[in-house]
Amino acid sequence: MRITETSSLPALASFICDACLNHGLDIVLSGGACVSIYTKNRYASFDLDFVLRSPVPRKRIRIAMAELGFREDGRHFRHPRTPYIVEFLLPPLSVGQEPVREVHEIRTSGRVLRLLSPTDCVKDRLAAYYHWNDRPSLEQAVLVCRAKTVDMREVGRWSVNEGMREKFDLFRTQIPKEEDRA
Amino acid sequence: MLEILLKSPVKGRLLLYVHTHGESYAREIARDLGLYLRGVQYHLLKMEQDGILYSHLKGKVRLFGINPRYPFKKELTAFLDRSLTFVPAEERQRLYTPRLRPRRTGKPL
Repeated sequence: MRITETSSLPALASFICDACLNHGLDIVLSGGACVSIYTKNRYASFDLDFVLRSPVPRKRIRIAMAELGFREDGRHFRHPRTPYIVEFLLPPLSVGQEPVREVHEIRTSGRVLRLLSPTDCVKDRLAAYYHWNDRPSLEQAVLVCRAKTVDMREVGRWSVNEGMREKFDLFRTQIPKEEDRA
Repeated sequence: MLEILLKSPVKGRLLLYVHTHGESYAREIARDLGLYLRGVQYHLLKMEQDGILYSHLKGKVRLFGINPRYPFKKELTAFLDRSLTFVPAEERQRLYTPRLRPRRTGKPL
């Protein structure tokens, strides 16, 4: 794949993920980029946050990214032909206080993209709302629920564990009942 | 106690300070704990990168706090609370017992 100004987020993410997997780097896409993918860009993100599932020397990431044309810029990686910024976050892969147990996979054009499942993506966004009172994150969680099948019972269980029952109830009011497909 | 585990005399004191103050900034921590500003900044940024701390700008000041999304937050704060009981009473009172409730403008001390 040739990275250009018009490379889409899913294409770029799967390109990077696939290349990193080939370098033995086990990574999972998280954060706003997952929202962007699940909502077909109704929420636009320019950050590609990959979480490492086990610790690796920074040098190995630098080598893998350099092969794709990315240059290290502080904590991030940038490419001269795309506005997307790539960051690799340290393990563990978690949502709030809990580890992520299952990782979602999307296969496109022979490449594999590992990312948070829609349910974990909603938890991830809600964590930002719960702990920082960040309302845009709440809206993103709602957008994902409207676009994808989300296990609302699981999100509820997790929210209670996070000590956020009241905020979960508030979130729940924004999701129409018929859209609870779990 | 913390020094042995963290292999750093500075990190443990930083964590205790941030934990007991809720949020703080590098210059305040360095001043109160009598540490070099550079060292404090280095450790704060490193712990932020590791996901243990978060930071945000308030005006021109970057405030740091313990990241509520850190997966071991509960365990870390329990550990910090426990280690606080081993800090000498005078030091605990002086460095780790800040007044957090608000004080009205103009109210005499």
